[in-house]
Amino acid sequence: MKHESKLTSQEQEQLAEIKSQQTSVREFASVEEVLRQDANQTAVPPAIAERLAKSIQSLPRPPQTWWQRWLKP
Amino acid sequence: MELLVSETGIKHRPQLVLEPAEFAELYHTHSRAVYYLALRYLGDPQKAEDVTHDVFLKVYRKFSEFRGESSWRTWLYRITINHCHNVKQSWHSRNLVTNADEAVWENAAAQVDSPFRALETKELGQRIQTALDGLTEEYRLLLLLVADEELSYAEVAILTEQSADAVRGKLHRARKAFAVLFQQSA
Repeated sequence: MKHESKLTSQEQEQLAEIKSQQTSVREFASVEEVLRQDANQTAVPPAIAERLAKSIQSLPRPPQTWWQRWLKP
Repeated sequence: MELLVSETGIKHRPQLVLEPAEFAELYHTHSRAVYYLALRYLGDPQKAEDVTHDVFLKVYRKFSEFRGESSWRTWLYRITINHCHNVKQSWHSRNLVTNADEAVWENAAAQVDSPFRALETKELGQRIQTALDGLTEEYRLLLLLVADEELSYAEVAILTEQSADAVRGKLHRARKAFAVLFQQSA
């Protein structure tokens, strides 16, 4: 088409990309939007928090600073 | 030292450990982002669980090293990316077959309201993972980071150790490659 022939190669590339996304990612406007949707519907397994709580409980207590030892009665 | 308030509202000050409530708030705010990055970057829900656990345990232990010069999200991502690289380079990653099977993927999806939604969620996640797996690690990481609206291009550039212009150029190619692979995975 006459209109399309005036497009620069970069514009044609961008147009091709948009068309490609329109056909492959029909429900979303961009790749980022697809990934955001995926992230929003991905739940963090509750087992991680439980495991983390156990790991933290088993850690040695941090050493007291000099002023904590000094203030201790 | 001047107190800095992070996006979670936690004040940064010199201290050895986080208070339990502060740590819970940090986990609540950022755990999904950390888990999702690890899940899609590694492509293995079990490894993503391990990474998320290890990242937050490290944050708890090394909190005093956080200087407040970057956002919490950026600091957490830096630890996550390093940890994922270590996992990828480990002997197990190079020699053992992943244990990511259908059942594990189902567990990785969010709790949903209806069976139709569950099916849709599973299918979308699988297609995205298939498309991401077909990309180079660099492109995969760039897309995952840029998709996080909390990060600027400049922060993505710092996290991936390149200029913002280089990020933009590579993103153009990464988006195109993803679109093709996503279409093929249908």
